[in-house]
Amino acid sequence: MNKTNLGDIFRRFSVPLMFVLICAVCAPISGLSPSYLANEIVTRMGRNAFLILSLLIPIMAGMGLNFSMTLGAMAGEIGLILVSDWQIVGIPGMVLAMIISVPISALLGLFCGKVLNMAKGREMITSYIISFFINGIYQLVVLYLMGPVIPIKHSNIKLPRGYGVRNTVSLLSMRQKLDNLIPLTIAGVKIPVATFIVIFLLCLVIIWFRKTKLGQDMRAVGQDMEVSKDAGINVEGTRIISMVISTVFAGVGMIIYLQNMGNIATYSSHSQIGMFCIAALLVGGASVDKASIGNVFLGIILFHTMFIVAPKAGTVITGDSMIGEYFRVFVSYAVITVALIMYETNKRKNKSRAGEELARAQEEENEGAA
Amino acid sequence: MEENSINSSGRIKGLIQDFGLPRLIITGFLILLLIVAPIVGADLPTQISNIINRFSWNGILVLAMVPMVHSGCGLNFGLPLGIISGLLGATISIELGFTGPVSFFMAVLISTPFAIVFGSLYGWLLNKIKGGEMMIATYVGFSSVSLMCMMWLLLPYHSPNMVWGMAGKGLRTTISLEGYYKEALADILQINIGNLMIPTGAILFFALLAFLMWAFLHTKTGTAMTAVGSNPDFARSAGINVDKIRLISVVMSTWLAAIGILVYEQGFGFIQLYMAPFYMALPAVSAILIGGASVNKASIMNVVIGTILFQGIVTMTPTVMNNMIHLDMSEVIRIIVSNGMILYALTRKTEGSK
Amino acid sequence: MKGQPDKKRILIRTAAIIVVVAVAAAMFVIGRGHTVYFDNKVLEYNGKEYKGPYSIEVQVDGEKVAKLKDGERGMTPTMGQNFSMDLIIKEEKGGEEKKVRAGLPLPYNMDGIIINLPALLSGLPEDAYMSEFIPTPSDEELEDEEVVTDEMEGLMNFGEDGEQQ
Repeated sequence: MNKTNLGDIFRRFSVPLMFVLICAVCAPISGLSPSYLANEIVTRMGRNAFLILSLLIPIMAGMGLNFSMTLGAMAGEIGLILVSDWQIVGIPGMVLAMIISVPISALLGLFCGKVLNMAKGREMITSYIISFFINGIYQLVVLYLMGPVIPIKHSNIKLPRGYGVRNTVSLLSMRQKLDNLIPLTIAGVKIPVATFIVIFLLCLVIIWFRKTKLGQDMRAVGQDMEVSKDAGINVEGTRIISMVISTVFAGVGMIIYLQNMGNIATYSSHSQIGMFCIAALLVGGASVDKASIGNVFLGIILFHTMFIVAPKAGTVITGDSMIGEYFRVFVSYAVITVALIMYETNKRKNKSRAGEELARAQEEENEGAA
Repeated sequence: MEENSINSSGRIKGLIQDFGLPRLIITGFLILLLIVAPIVGADLPTQISNIINRFSWNGILVLAMVPMVHSGCGLNFGLPLGIISGLLGATISIELGFTGPVSFFMAVLISTPFAIVFGSLYGWLLNKIKGGEMMIATYVGFSSVSLMCMMWLLLPYHSPNMVWGMAGKGLRTTISLEGYYKEALADILQINIGNLMIPTGAILFFALLAFLMWAFLHTKTGTAMTAVGSNPDFARSAGINVDKIRLISVVMSTWLAAIGILVYEQGFGFIQLYMAPFYMALPAVSAILIGGASVNKASIMNVVIGTILFQGIVTMTPTVMNNMIHLDMSEVIRIIVSNGMILYALTRKTEGSK
Repeated sequence: MKGQPDKKRILIRTAAIIVVVAVAAAMFVIGRGHTVYFDNKVLEYNGKEYKGPYSIEVQVDGEKVAKLKDGERGMTPTMGQNFSMDLIIKEEKGGEEKKVRAGLPLPYNMDGIIINLPALLSGLPEDAYMSEFIPTPSDEELEDEEVVTDEMEGLMNFGEDGEQQ
């Protein structure tokens, strides 16, 4: 009994362990100084944590990894584009962008939740395709409607042809305004205190949310939809709410992410965001049906260390900078693949175990009757 | 249910029923484009040649969807794995010094063992995770493409037509097939009437493979495959080795994808490596769905109709829109239509196993 | 029984929406950014000439933004509707420094605002010292750029390289 438990534990932490190993090998080879690494990781923590935290709630509701968090990212970008055109700057600009993004995110989340309710059992692939589909709609809005329908005034945002937004929109007026709101540097490491406070507040909200009636319902739905339905929980509604919350958080998270970056790549900033947020979360030891706040932070540290270190280490080892870049891309996808495989095999194992137990119970019952 | 749609009487009725609203809209849209094209000054024969050409490039990649759908493995989002087998065949064939149409034949030959090995591993994996095939297939595709990105740099290729000139190693991102198998199939019996050009050879090649697929589905193994797809429990109790049948279907799909990419390249004229195969599954998936297939049902007819409709829209919209309103929205339309179609299919209730 | 909580809920929701809208409105006001340009140039107004001092140093929030000799222009981005600055004026070279505090409201609908400092210091009305800065788009901005909507974009670096250093 003890042995299997140990095996289970090992399996759960195999991915983080593997990453610790990769990082431990690559970090010295890369020749990057510890202070540089520490700075980069703290920056990325502030940049990404909010986005990754937005993935937790759908996992709680048993809807798996929310590949359609890109929807929220797009809503956030729309908010930022409009705010930059209105020339609302600094923190007020960010707040306004968030306020604009929330209804858009909520609407998209609602759509997403409804679609996913029609595709129970294959939520992940569906949410993945939704992100492509909505990307098409986003392009329609940003590339054709912004200008003639949605007024855009400034020529540094609008394309000279009169419609559509430029490839990059500068957020210079907002750049790192939140990060630098409360300046603090410890041992040469710049710490974005205000951003961390916001992230901390979100963590508190998530912890509180788990304890509310709705949070409890969500977990029940995640455990077993049929049982929850019998218990009188509005299963479909709960699932939709979890998507809406996740999308809204993702939108806010994207605004925090972009204020750190300092510009929007209008047509590509969001496209891969879901992918690497999910990879980071999984690297932190989360699985498709179980993820905690701890996984988020561990994941960011490990994933981003690998991300920074791998190309340099690859260059040193092979003399080709591309090898390391391809390596980190490969590792990101491989991690997701492995996590998905482990989840599905576990699900099957549990199912067959439950089946066996049921059969055994029936047998015993029959024997008792005889 | 399944038996009915296979025998001919229920077939037509089933076809109309399966056609569904989105397909009707897409068909209508394409017909509209064809009508509008000459009015706005686009040359219709050129347009039709384009569609036929693109059909001949993409047909087999779409055909590769059929076996896995039949065996209940769902849509093969892991198509890039097969494409990689094809790319390996193509590059090795050139590396070994084959030229002209022979290089195409050799590429097919060399890619086959790769496709079988990769396909078997992939099929074995999919048998372990029944029910979650599509998502894992997607990521198997992504992982293999990114792994191969490293391999294209590291494998000992030396042919000066393929490697980077400066470094003398590492394959280029695009490799021209001029002098190799560019239009190797299309040139066979090619018909030219004015602006109308028909790549007969490539179409015949597609027809051959489609016929073989159709014939296969009527063999004992083929019907077993359909049985596994429509009701695995029933199939198991009938003594069919479900896992083996699924494995065969995955290998077939992977092999067809390998051949499909080779045929695509002979039409396109270039080999595209590195990240290029990344999203290649999506157009093929949406094409077969537009053709009337669903997550667990697909026929050769779906492939033909779907590829024509999809490629028709992809090739027609840019020209027609540009001529009409000087506004090229074709890219956005393509994204919305193709992904919308996949979404529509994923949200349909499916009979039998999930 | 049932009507009571529903009513309360609607009330709370309405209140929440009102608060959010109010916050948004407040953001519009306090977050409006302008670029303020300072001119230390001669200005003619109603037939009278107003000459600038030898040099003016402009300080905003205690930080030096620009030091303007006669005929020069400086700029600073600002946030909000009220703009205040400290002007350190030297009438002639090597002369006494004089510190003047100047505050003025900025018009909401102007992105770029030019303030003629000599006119401001002479106490002329707003329409004399303030004018709108209309940027002439640079050639780079006028050039049509091709929009890249490639799905592969950012696949390699997950958008991380878009960072502005």
